[in-house]
Amino acid sequence: MKRFEFVEASSLAQAAKLAAQPNGAVRAGGIDLMDLQKEHLAEPDRVISIRRVPGAAEIREEGGALVIGPLVTLAQLASHPVALAKWKAVAVAAGEAASPQVRNQATVIGNLLQRPRCWYFRNELLQCARKGGPDCLSQEGENRYHAIFENKDCAIVHASNVSPAAMLFDGSVKTVKADGSRREIPLAKLFVKPEVDITKEHVLEAGEVVEALVLPAKAGGDHSSFLAAREKSAFDWPLFSLAVRLEMSGNVVKAAQIVFGAAAPTPLRREKAEAALVGKAIDEATARAAAALCFEDATPMTQNGYKVAMGTALTARAILAAV
Amino acid sequence: MRKILLRLRVNGAHHEVAVRPSATVLDVVRDTLHLTGTKRGCDMGTCGCCTVLVDGRARLGCLTLAAEVEGCEVRTIESLREGEQLHPLQSAFAECGAAQCGFCTPGFLMTCSALLSRTPTPTPEQVKDAISGNLCRCTGYTKMYEAIDRAAAQMRTEPAREPELSSREAVSGGSR
Amino acid sequence: MPPRPRRPRPLSVVGTSPPRLEGAAKVAGTARYVDDLEFPGLLLGRTIRSTVPRGELLGWSMGRRPRGLHVVSAADIPGRNAIALLEPDQPCLVRREIRHAAEPVLLLAHEDRDALASVAVELRERPRKAQLDVRASRSFCKEILIEKGNLSRGFARADRIVEGEYTTGHQEQLYVETQGVIAVPEKDGVTIYGSLQCPYYVQKALVELLSLPPERVRIIQVETGGGFGGKEEYPSMIAGHAALLALKSGRPVKLVYDRSEDMLATTKRHPSIVRHKTGVRRDGSLTAMQIDVLLDAGAYVTLSPVVLSRGVLHAAGPYRCEDVQILGRAAMTNTPPNGAFRGFGAPQTQFAVEVHMERIAEALGIDPLELRRRNALRPGDTTATGQRLGADCSALPCLESAVRRSRFVARRRAIEKHNAKARVSGGPLRGIGLALFFHGSGFTGAGEVKLASRAALELTPTGARILVASTEIGQGTRTILSQIVAEELGWPLSRIEVADPDTREVPDSGPTVASRTCMIVGEILRRCAQSLKRALGRMTPRQYLAKNGPLVVTEQYDRPKSMHWDDVHYRGDAYGAYGYGCDVIELEIDPVTAEVRPAEVTAVQDIGRAIHPVLAAGQIEGGTAQGIAFALAEEVVMRDGRMANAQLTNYAVPTPLDTPPMQVEILEFPYGHGPFGAKGVGEMPIDGPSPAVVNALRHAGLDIRDIPAVPERIAGLVDSMRGAAT
Repeated sequence: MKRFEFVEASSLAQAAKLAAQPNGAVRAGGIDLMDLQKEHLAEPDRVISIRRVPGAAEIREEGGALVIGPLVTLAQLASHPVALAKWKAVAVAAGEAASPQVRNQATVIGNLLQRPRCWYFRNELLQCARKGGPDCLSQEGENRYHAIFENKDCAIVHASNVSPAAMLFDGSVKTVKADGSRREIPLAKLFVKPEVDITKEHVLEAGEVVEALVLPAKAGGDHSSFLAAREKSAFDWPLFSLAVRLEMSGNVVKAAQIVFGAAAPTPLRREKAEAALVGKAIDEATARAAAALCFEDATPMTQNGYKVAMGTALTARAILAAV
Repeated sequence: MRKILLRLRVNGAHHEVAVRPSATVLDVVRDTLHLTGTKRGCDMGTCGCCTVLVDGRARLGCLTLAAEVEGCEVRTIESLREGEQLHPLQSAFAECGAAQCGFCTPGFLMTCSALLSRTPTPTPEQVKDAISGNLCRCTGYTKMYEAIDRAAAQMRTEPAREPELSSREAVSGGSR
Repeated sequence: MPPRPRRPRPLSVVGTSPPRLEGAAKVAGTARYVDDLEFPGLLLGRTIRSTVPRGELLGWSMGRRPRGLHVVSAADIPGRNAIALLEPDQPCLVRREIRHAAEPVLLLAHEDRDALASVAVELRERPRKAQLDVRASRSFCKEILIEKGNLSRGFARADRIVEGEYTTGHQEQLYVETQGVIAVPEKDGVTIYGSLQCPYYVQKALVELLSLPPERVRIIQVETGGGFGGKEEYPSMIAGHAALLALKSGRPVKLVYDRSEDMLATTKRHPSIVRHKTGVRRDGSLTAMQIDVLLDAGAYVTLSPVVLSRGVLHAAGPYRCEDVQILGRAAMTNTPPNGAFRGFGAPQTQFAVEVHMERIAEALGIDPLELRRRNALRPGDTTATGQRLGADCSALPCLESAVRRSRFVARRRAIEKHNAKARVSGGPLRGIGLALFFHGSGFTGAGEVKLASRAALELTPTGARILVASTEIGQGTRTILSQIVAEELGWPLSRIEVADPDTREVPDSGPTVASRTCMIVGEILRRCAQSLKRALGRMTPRQYLAKNGPLVVTEQYDRPKSMHWDDVHYRGDAYGAYGYGCDVIELEIDPVTAEVRPAEVTAVQDIGRAIHPVLAAGQIEGGTAQGIAFALAEEVVMRDGRMANAQLTNYAVPTPLDTPPMQVEILEFPYGHGPFGAKGVGEMPIDGPSPAVVNALRHAGLDIRDIPAVPERIAGLVDSMRGAAT
């Protein structure tokens, strides 16, 4: 690991200012940052810790929305009674990430912003397209864990458990930039598709620090579901994951949201299937039909066709679980 | 890169150490404080061998910067027993065959001590979940469950033993 | 030596389960592993490796060298540039020819970790076309043919012929402590402190590498965080590297691999391709077995010939058949060399035969349980090499006990009912599978005679001290050897001490491998204890020492007189004793996600005598967990001759959540030449789980013949499974 200077910011605005200087990196839980440093994929000269920023480790309810600070850990969110009650998929997704020790340290925001797990990307010896190389090495290579949607330029899968669940609630992040200005970015606009910029996963600027993840309350949040398939039962990133929220009127769907996680380079809304569910009562048949719609535009690669069948079935199951 | 001076509280003792900012808790307890009971298994957060307690919570020493635990109470395997008296978890692991090669054992013990201090009567599912971030290649985990059950039972019948905090102030120089 | 008569007195130490001797240190965190040791002036070592799977090394260049950097290349080797083991083909450092993509080329040492890591080295390599496909390789480092009876006669007697091909992948030992050693330069030689299984193997390798006499190469095993075979041979390599750096720099050098390097560079279980052609009569009796075993040796010979040997010797499974031909070959490829891993070839070949047995039952339309009952080896039967089995042959008792304990027949019926419903509803399916297996203890054939292991007991004022080079790597060597000695002497366990395995102090009791420590070394020690007892007479140790001075009794391996082996024709008594086992595994299969969850495991194993029942059960549980993961999860992805998933995040070792509850039953069919009847226990538990798992998948409708059956592989079959049901 390359050596670095360690500084502690007293506020997020100060952290943003420090991080905007060349080769700075903000550290909250630091799990992914440290992984990247040990793998020589990130080599900041200065690491700015926000651990002493007052109030940053709090989960609050504000005007009906859940506001999650940048030091809130996955473990905190997973066991938060209000989150479990009203933003269930988010709490469940947080509780299924990584391992207990990691969840005690890793933050919710860090989970959103973690870099991809693609083994070509993570191998310091290889230059894939995301690291400035000419090609996405998974196209001709080992791609069993890779994306089955939007995978032509770069086939990473979005790594966060939390983000598909958070998108069910039209969540957004509030940020502060180096110049002190603030903005709010809907999650739907936070993540960057490879065709737009293959080298980054989100739109945050250098030095821009997330102050909070904001999750508005939504009907059906108490039944919202998150499901994932994994190779190992603990400490494994999903082979496929998704989150589903249904707003019911009696036994009929009033509105639906389906977001895929580990399926494409960014979280993927499945609007067509959502629309197909509206006005219907949920049973096996409607769930399966909607699930099939979700995969109409799938473009599996040489080794990951299995994810289509797996994902279709998992989607139907998640829809049934969200009623 | 310049070293930084940290005041750390490890196993109840105060230490002033000069380390590189990149030093992890694992680096400092092993290399600077010579507390080698905490093991380096993967150095990437995936095996749990380096589990220590930070303010009572199980944390990975290899992914936590030493600079981040200033002001926190850090506990390593060396603090689990009281003098020569093994902690009930330690005796149970030794008696039940829950430790074979022993390399993962300190990490498991720290994870379990965090579990039992918060949940004195864990369900089998809670135990499984709690230790799911620790890897053991020798035992197949079976004897660990037995040991954890036995220790939990013993701790419930014995008066709670709060670890004695040493007031001794130890100062050691950084060697890295 | 004739088999001893039954002992009249009950055993008082053997058969009990005291806490392991070093247990307190391990749970207290005071046990010292190699990375915990400190030496003044210690340097840290680093290995620069080839990057192409085959080619030539043309040269190398180095960026800025920090002050105090030491560099070693092949030119610095004082002796022969080879790791002495079976064949001297593997260089310690590449001189010119590169045969795999993780070969050590240069060694660096520096006192500062960061400075060492910052050194940039560029190798100039000229790549050549690599052979990465074992099926295409025509270069064999070993071929073995076993013939019994007359194959064409056997096939002529058959009503049915069943054929099949079965494959297994690499498996990484994944001891939780990575490989590591410290080399300390001495006035006239070198001392190695290491995480290792076989001190005298390391000594033999370093003697040749450094051109030093054995007495100047001292090897000390320190507390070792697991081995599973992975620290049988590779420590010779890493110790060689550390020694070269230490001798050149004149300072102690520590070389401890990080996890990724350990996975990339060190040996793994040999991938295998096993083909069966079996003649069978309508009633299920086997008339002919033709078996072809191909192992991927990798780039150097290492232990492949003996892995192949154990593989073919177990290839016919614990079954009786008069007409057998087994052909085994180990082929070279340009991948890192494969080596010892618990089971040593037997898990691969018994996976094949046990899945094949299930397919034979299907072909005949008979109950696979009945098929095994009919063919299981019994006392008086002969194995493929013609070895006649004694009264301790317990294949059938193991089978019946496992069937009874797991309620196999009732569970199977219940599961079939459950699955009929689940196939309609799309819910989780279940499957139950069984595997019968055996495992020879000790070195093969004449191996133990050649080893001629020695063990010693030294009289101390309070008792006795065990002197052996057999290492404690977690399996309980110290404790069980002490129990054997204490029992024979009639003393409490507390009077027995165990010397550290240090080649300066202890005789060569052979390597700690091949399930031989308890049965072979334990028996030599028991004989030492007998001699010691005779020497003592009625005196206490203190009285004896006062009167006669120090006493050390040494005994050597003594071949049971009835044991004969023909190494040319592979005929005769391949092993002194066989353990037997039967595993029953029940699985839950999610047809949606293709996730397979082992739900229940019953493992019944005959180990002759459990010296320490808790430690023995621990071996069975741990080996079973590794075996299940071998079948379902652990996949080494090779890409261009290099492991692509050399991280714990991508190589799926079972976590607590992946490991099922296990029910273990130990049977004791004593072996006359083992201490108190003991046979080996270390390896056998890993032979059964993979076929039991795959047979359970078969039971649920999934035709798996290649492992690991990871979710991606199963997902492709799930549709066919559903199709079959509707």
